[in-house]
Amino acid sequence: MDSSTVRIILLIIHYLFFIYAFSVVASYILLAIISAIESFHYMKKNSFVNYNEILSSNISPSISIIAPAYNESLNIVENVRSLLSNHYVNYDVIVVNDGSKDDSLDKLIEAYDLVKIDYLINPQIKTQPLRNGIFKSTNPAFEKLIVIDKENGGKADALNFGLNISNNQYVVCIDVDCLLLEDSLQKMIKPFLEVTDSKVIASGGVIRIANSCTIKEGKLLDVNLPKKFIEISQILEYLRSFLLGRMAWSRLNGLLVISGAFGMFEKKSAIAVGGYDTNTVGEDMEIIVRMRRHMEEQKVNYKVAYIPDPLCWTEAPDNYKILISQRNRWTRGTIEVLKKHRKIGFNPKYNLLGMLSYPYWFFYERLAPIIEVVGIIYFIILVTLKNVRWDYAFAFFLLAYLFSVFFTIVAILSEELTYHQYKKKKTGFKLIVATFLEPFILHPAILFAAIKGNIDYYFNKKLKWGEMKRKGLSN
Amino acid sequence: MIDFQHLLAYFEQLPLLVKAVWILIGLLIIFIILLIFYLKYLRGYLRKKEAISKMLFTEYEANLINFLYSQTEEEINEEQQIIVDKIKTSITNKFKRKIFISVMSKLKNDISGEMADSINNLYIKTNLINHSIAKLKSNKWYVITAGIKELNLFEITNVFEQVKKHENHPKQEVRNEVQLYFVSLFHFKGLDFLNTLKSSISEWNQIQLLEILQKFDDQEISDITPWLKSGNESVVLFSLKLAKIYNQFQIIDTLLELLNHQSKIIRLKTIEVLNYFQVNEAKKILKNNFKNSSEDEQIAFFQMLENTVEIADEEFIVLNTKHVNFQVRVLALKILKRLNNEKLLDLKNNAANDEDKLIFNYLENN
Amino acid sequence: MNNLKKVVLAEDNSTLSLLLKFRLEKEGYELLIAENGKEAIELIETHEPQLILTDIMMPFISGLEVISHVRNKLKVQTPIIVFSAAGQEEMVLKAFNLGANDFMGKPFSPNELVIRVKRLLA
Repeated sequence: MDSSTVRIILLIIHYLFFIYAFSVVASYILLAIISAIESFHYMKKNSFVNYNEILSSNISPSISIIAPAYNESLNIVENVRSLLSNHYVNYDVIVVNDGSKDDSLDKLIEAYDLVKIDYLINPQIKTQPLRNGIFKSTNPAFEKLIVIDKENGGKADALNFGLNISNNQYVVCIDVDCLLLEDSLQKMIKPFLEVTDSKVIASGGVIRIANSCTIKEGKLLDVNLPKKFIEISQILEYLRSFLLGRMAWSRLNGLLVISGAFGMFEKKSAIAVGGYDTNTVGEDMEIIVRMRRHMEEQKVNYKVAYIPDPLCWTEAPDNYKILISQRNRWTRGTIEVLKKHRKIGFNPKYNLLGMLSYPYWFFYERLAPIIEVVGIIYFIILVTLKNVRWDYAFAFFLLAYLFSVFFTIVAILSEELTYHQYKKKKTGFKLIVATFLEPFILHPAILFAAIKGNIDYYFNKKLKWGEMKRKGLSN
Repeated sequence: MIDFQHLLAYFEQLPLLVKAVWILIGLLIIFIILLIFYLKYLRGYLRKKEAISKMLFTEYEANLINFLYSQTEEEINEEQQIIVDKIKTSITNKFKRKIFISVMSKLKNDISGEMADSINNLYIKTNLINHSIAKLKSNKWYVITAGIKELNLFEITNVFEQVKKHENHPKQEVRNEVQLYFVSLFHFKGLDFLNTLKSSISEWNQIQLLEILQKFDDQEISDITPWLKSGNESVVLFSLKLAKIYNQFQIIDTLLELLNHQSKIIRLKTIEVLNYFQVNEAKKILKNNFKNSSEDEQIAFFQMLENTVEIADEEFIVLNTKHVNFQVRVLALKILKRLNNEKLLDLKNNAANDEDKLIFNYLENN
Repeated sequence: MNNLKKVVLAEDNSTLSLLLKFRLEKEGYELLIAENGKEAIELIETHEPQLILTDIMMPFISGLEVISHVRNKLKVQTPIIVFSAAGQEEMVLKAFNLGANDFMGKPFSPNELVIRVKRLLA
């Protein structure tokens, strides 16, 4: 190859990088604007709603909270108490003890006066079998509780068991250590009930980070900013993603994922598509894509709704090891889901789902870490070839950094203007400091996790299964 | 000392792209600094606002309770008038009015009787009513909604015409609020809007309406037959709920007609209501339609059979113990156990697969 | 010495609590206010009131659990009046099954509550 061909190739590569970077930035800005509009509308729509009427009604639809648990003995009694104290009337709590090796079941039996009962299970979805059985309480104060003890099968399997057991119309799938605020159920079910011209198949909520918050006996007493920068950085990440990203996708009706830690479905729809897929680590995203696909194929008008209110609080990883493991799993989940449903990508038969959501997720979520690493490698090659204009490189890096900082500050401002959860003094200052440090603290770890995820996905098959069986449902 | 000339010369010779990058960098730095200052200001402002809100809330709470306790006769006495005047001079801006209304709402939602009437009176005497009425004229839908809600909460019936103007507002939230107003203040008579309603009432609003209605004496309910025959499906569904809650036995013939309605969900809900009324005549129609109806309707019919089964139905039941749907099979077997236990045991001994065996075992003990 | 009859009120609507406190203190009772079920149980154990008024929907521990705790764990027959926004049969039945003496659905008239209080403490 002669030098001019090489030059042309390099030029093309440069242009591609720029186009990619530019489109990423443009999409972030666009999504942020749409999110802002949607948040505004949402707040106006719900600022005066009296949820009390719906919660006290026995005509309100029935809901089952399904909470899989694996080796959660330490906190399980308190977590269940928290789930039982929701203000909704017509609901029950199905705790699925997924083959835990600890004394979770014994603790529950003692705390809630449980006895084993006969229960006829409608085997709509195939799952791992029961182990010790199904239990209910003899104390009428805990009538809403059903505890299932089954053989280990992973989170998706446990959720499917819950789907089989539930006799209610809607199900909420949550992680058992998630703290749900008392009015969460009414808020989550509202989208299902207030549409008249389409069908809501799922509604997803925001996950808020509970680290360092004061939680006593399953109740959120006080919201504090966590101490470690790794935790604060995750808050920033969640704010960007939830307030400036998902709101927009919800408005466009292109939402591809509902957090696995907190999502509500119409039970029949979930069962109709076969429940959760036990062969993937990204089961929360996978079921949404599958349900959406199903609805597109049925040609029914439908919507996946999203509630931005802070309703669900959970602990985020506070050290790099767990964080990287978590992000690794998210990466593999994304790859698996996109691969499994690749038929819908760029397929006009699937409308927005296939023509916008899927391509976006593929290019900007799945490929982004790879492109970034390729860029870094390319840059390193240039450095070794001494072919780099350091002042230009510096300018570009500075621009990328400043844009990230700018965008994050906009996210912080959105939070202040909407839910304003971090009221204490000095938290503003800490958030800003974290904003400036995040690209150096969190981003490299996440990038590393994503690359490792890709490597593990392609070259380390046995990791998939072992992890699910062992961990069950760690976050 | 920064050599400005050199810097400018450097800048001039940069390629266009890099120039653009530096300009963007400059802009971003400015934006970031501005936003940081704004953030600091915003947080301080929100903090102050919250402190003031708390203070005002406590103050208004005390005012309200003093007002209620100074009540001696029907009309406002001197002591109360002083409190009213004090409040009037305080609530001069929207922020304060909002807090005062929230204090009154908080209490009003939980209490009834003479004290509740006093609160309504206070709302009028402090002229808040005029502000609510003014909101009805806004062109922002959320302002209109807030106004209607306030007039509803404080039971102001004489603004009926002004509220009614919004009954066909393009925004669902406004229409909902108007409907809630009608029903809260005029009880069953307030449901007249169902006669001419063209838009759909959401489930959410239906539940809210029913919850309000349940507080009133059901003798007032009028004939719901025209609503059951409405072309507006949400009106039909709402009326089915009314039929069940208010035990409207007299409309059974209309219900039987609805079993052949084109909408699946209406047929389904009708079966549920007929189940509740335990209407035997429905069985014939449903048996006829059985093969062609959806699984949901089939399940609903069997739930009905649980309550209305007669010996003549035995053959039909036995036939469906082999139904493809699990829930139908279980219900059929459950009913058979009551009807003819021997037949059940007979079927058990011939049970084909494990799944059915589980059902038989379960039924044996429960 | 304090001869006033003690009443524990468990209610998370602070305005309503204040209102009832005024009203009942005017009638000559001593009012102890709790904002949630847990505080209520603490007050009950410390002060041994002559009457308990409790809402059902409260943070931490619900009113039903308060009743259960008083009747089953503390084993006392202190009269209990329950009120709640969820005023349906199910809630009422559960409350009475657990041992409540009277029930008032919200919204209720404070005057009527006072009458029932007097009746139970007569």
